[in-house]
Amino acid sequence: MGVPRFIGLQNYVTLFSPDSRFGHTLLVTFLFTIINVSVTIIFSLILALLLNLNVRFKGLFQFFYYVPTIMPSVVMASCMILMFNQQLGIVDYVMKLLGIKNPPNWTGSQSLVWVVIAVASVFTFQTGQQMLVFSAALKDVPRDLYEAASIDGANAWVRFWRITIPGIAPMLLFNTVSATVNSFNGAFTLLFPLTGGGPGDATKVMSLLIYDNAFKSFNMGYASALAVVLFIIVAIVGTVQFRLMDKN
Amino acid sequence: MNYHIPKWMKALQYAAMIIMAVLMFFPIYWIFANSLKTLPGISAYPPALFPSNPQWNNYVMVLSDPKTIVYLRNSLILVVGNTVGTLLSSSIVAYPLARMHFRGRGLIFSLILATMMVPTVTLVIPQYLLFRAFNMLDSFWPMILPAFFAQPYNVFLFRQFFVSIPDSIDEAAMLDGCNRWQTFWKVIVPLGKPIFITVGIMSASFWWNELFTPMVFIDSDNLKPLTVASLTAFQISGTNGQTEWNLQMAFSMLMILPPALLYILCSRYITEGIKTSGMKD
Repeated sequence: MGVPRFIGLQNYVTLFSPDSRFGHTLLVTFLFTIINVSVTIIFSLILALLLNLNVRFKGLFQFFYYVPTIMPSVVMASCMILMFNQQLGIVDYVMKLLGIKNPPNWTGSQSLVWVVIAVASVFTFQTGQQMLVFSAALKDVPRDLYEAASIDGANAWVRFWRITIPGIAPMLLFNTVSATVNSFNGAFTLLFPLTGGGPGDATKVMSLLIYDNAFKSFNMGYASALAVVLFIIVAIVGTVQFRLMDKN
Repeated sequence: MNYHIPKWMKALQYAAMIIMAVLMFFPIYWIFANSLKTLPGISAYPPALFPSNPQWNNYVMVLSDPKTIVYLRNSLILVVGNTVGTLLSSSIVAYPLARMHFRGRGLIFSLILATMMVPTVTLVIPQYLLFRAFNMLDSFWPMILPAFFAQPYNVFLFRQFFVSIPDSIDEAAMLDGCNRWQTFWKVIVPLGKPIFITVGIMSASFWWNELFTPMVFIDSDNLKPLTVASLTAFQISGTNGQTEWNLQMAFSMLMILPPALLYILCSRYITEGIKTSGMKD
């Protein structure tokens, strides 16, 4: 690293210049965040709903749902790479069983790699954590509301949208915001071992780009500019989420 | 639920629960199954669901490597250091936010929640420059010291729990002559056992999992934690850089076991620790 030299806004000029890959990185970051947040929220809510009804062996089921999500991301990444491997993967084998003769090269395709990322997102710490938060929130939804609604003839679907969702709305907000923040934070830990930003730079999110610039090419100034922009984006996204949910 | 649920609905629910359990648990099973195969056994077609000739020797090979023990030690230093720091600092910050009334409390709490949104990756460059100035690069300090200055998410969880404890308990302690510190240590901390365990487990799992900061701050091989080491440990050096998948999977199993055991020991407390009451104020 050289001696720091003040260059004004030059780093930001480079950032927003037409041939910079910054726009692409931004798009990829958003794509990753949307996939990761929706997958973890949907899965954790389904798991919490299943656990919420009176069931036997609740603790055992909770173990099976929670423990896979606390395996380290590097472990999960290497397991995904093995499962989706084109020659020795179980996914390929299952697809051939289903009659698909030429299963795709999942991690080698710039679009299909997102399927692998979505599957990997199911097994992140966030899913288990959010499931526990949803479970706690579901316990607090008054039971007599459900009884009253079923007497009035509301079916399960109506009860879910009119009672359950409003009842857990504050936790839905909390989980969405923290899942978003965790996506920005956890993107590196998940994607570095899983895709390394590839193929090409199809999955190169902001944190990977910042890491490359700051700690591989020691371009600290440019990396800081990226970090500032990322911070502004996260702040805007977080604020918008709070406002939107506040209205409901 | 109290109202009547038809039998077929109950059956459907159990079927859904079992399917989800199988789906969720399959990756761990697959890691385990492959950790017991030989390297050619892994590339056999069709892939064997149950390894026919379990190679327990894979585990012996991974564990008898002296480097594995060094990586394990490093991971444990990060986990213990961060967990102790987090539990101390975050609970002490959360206590007044939950149980004392003073001007600006709401504002301070909002500010703390707002900092939750600052991505780690944006903080790491100034941290790197700071710890370089302190001559602390390539050591555990840049990763352990910050834990002693409270994390917003954990402050939030502690506050939620402390809010749910009845006010009269503090008042009784104060009447008996406890000051704020004594009330905190002798009354709130014992009552808050579930949340201390919850946050402890979350912090420990996070640091057992963490890859980014050790990659930034650690250069020496003998200071790397298991996560960083697992990226390169079983790549056969050669022209095709092939992976020794069987050993990689045995190593992976060893990385899954501690968090799984921790969960089994503490699951009772984890669910108790998450309080959603007080969310709406």
